[in-house]
Amino acid sequence: MLQLSQIQLAPGAAAFDHTFAAGALTVVLGRNRSGKTNLCRLVAGLTCSAKGEVTLDGQRITQLSPQSRSVAVVFQAFVNYPNWTVAENIASPMRARGVAWRDREARAKQLAEVLGLEQFLQRLPHELSGGQQQRLAIARAMAKQAQILVLDEPLVNLDYKLRESLVLELRGVLQQAGTAVIYTSTDPKDAFALGDELVLLDGHAKLQAGRPLEVYQYPQNFAAANLMSDPGVNAFTTPATLVAAARRAAVRPEHVYLADSAPCADVIEFAMDVQGLETSGDETFIHGSVDGNSWVIRRPGIVNVSVGQRLPVVVRKGDIMRFGVA
Amino acid sequence: MSISRWLLVIYCIYLLLPLYWLSSVALQTNADITGEFAVLPQNPTLSNFAEIWHNPVWSSAFVNSLSYVFLNTVISIVVAVPAAYVFSRYRFLGDRQLFFWLLTNRMAPPAVFLLPFFQLYSAVGLFDTPLAVALAHCLFTVPLSVWILEGFMSAVPTELDDMARIDGHSFGFFFLRIFVPVNRGAIGVTLFFCFMFSWVELLLARTLTGSAAKPIVVTMTRTVSASGLDWGVLAAAGVLTVIPGIIVVWFVRKHLVKGFALGRVT
Repeated sequence: MLQLSQIQLAPGAAAFDHTFAAGALTVVLGRNRSGKTNLCRLVAGLTCSAKGEVTLDGQRITQLSPQSRSVAVVFQAFVNYPNWTVAENIASPMRARGVAWRDREARAKQLAEVLGLEQFLQRLPHELSGGQQQRLAIARAMAKQAQILVLDEPLVNLDYKLRESLVLELRGVLQQAGTAVIYTSTDPKDAFALGDELVLLDGHAKLQAGRPLEVYQYPQNFAAANLMSDPGVNAFTTPATLVAAARRAAVRPEHVYLADSAPCADVIEFAMDVQGLETSGDETFIHGSVDGNSWVIRRPGIVNVSVGQRLPVVVRKGDIMRFGVA
Repeated sequence: MSISRWLLVIYCIYLLLPLYWLSSVALQTNADITGEFAVLPQNPTLSNFAEIWHNPVWSSAFVNSLSYVFLNTVISIVVAVPAAYVFSRYRFLGDRQLFFWLLTNRMAPPAVFLLPFFQLYSAVGLFDTPLAVALAHCLFTVPLSVWILEGFMSAVPTELDDMARIDGHSFGFFFLRIFVPVNRGAIGVTLFFCFMFSWVELLLARTLTGSAAKPIVVTMTRTVSASGLDWGVLAAAGVLTVIPGIIVVWFVRKHLVKGFALGRVT
């Protein structure tokens, strides 16, 4: 169990506490520069601008060097020792611990099999593809058998297809490890695919934490809702009666319907000035503005709308999220 | 063949001609050299090389040169590798200024330092030793080495350092077993530049040595004897002087282009 108390991710940012449970995978979700990497470096004991107390199983480790902490890290960039083979790379943490050569080799081979690298044991990292390099970094981190495994946006530099397949693989691999896993990401999908727990970071501070679905369904504020939605949520200020009670209201892109396909009667109508369209065939994103707020609508299939058009859209009252504080 | 190819061939011949002529002269006797013009040596002989091998003046000159070049290269690398690491990894007060000041050492002509070095080394008893020349050359090769190595080392991601710490490796292990091998190409290039500077430098080497530590380049300028100039032996010494350079270039040829850009090409 890893306890963080009075954590300040950047000078002047709001301090917060959080506890990462052992055996659980926690996804830390935040935009770029929201303090995710600082959090990872603080936990690992590397130099960073974050401050606070780090306690592992009741023991304060704040002052410990990275060498003496039970923390393994996978970085965003594919970092491996370029002059060592795959087998030597995986065995590196065991070599530092003084594990016998024979045991190191056996364990490295075993981990290589788990991560699908068994044919490449004698290759150098630069002879591997990007996905394989990152899997190598994950294998090496797992070889440390640390109580905490930190993955700092491990898949962000990979192409889309590879990312999707690796996320599925990771789920199984990381559960086998049986440690507290901290996985940072900018993509809400990762939270649902991987996370037992979810922590939202915004502006170097903790917004909300909980199970991913809970956080999705009951965001505590606008920023949390916005972070959990890809693309971001649509804020609105009219009709006046609705907003006055709540001060701020928003609706998710997937909950905005075209007026001609209204799902039920209890709806509010908006008029949207269409400014752009993107379609992937099975989904269409309509970008535009409603009363000066920029909106995105996500609709299945191909939608027959043209840029510059004034599009009537409807929102079910039940889908509207209201927040007391902006 | 196209015109550009021909131009390239002509240029290569132009570059190689002096080298060829040097080798050709080295393989002839003085009588042949001063005799009729011949593109190929008429009576090729290795007697000039034998003369250098057996004459202690020549062989000791080679040993002197090689020893101060070796000393200089080793000192430069040993000093510059940790210094470049610090410049590439740490920010401290005045780091940029210090770094630039190192380079400005290279802007002064070596002649400026002749008198102070001569005076200083005479005073402390270093005059006429290979170490004297090696230390004097360090004034130029250390800044150059730091400058080159810093460029290469800055291109190595700092996550590598972080990762080694997380894996549990000590700093010494990381530096010697991971970081230095990762930068071995850069160190090879630096070695080449130090070697080349020290090997061809004449002014300091001549001034700071007397008879005991006289280097090869100086010996070559003093081959005029009562019986005239010994062309063949001089050329043979020239050939032998070129060879170490070729060997060093051969080892670092893959990294040289990057080295000339001071490592700032990725």
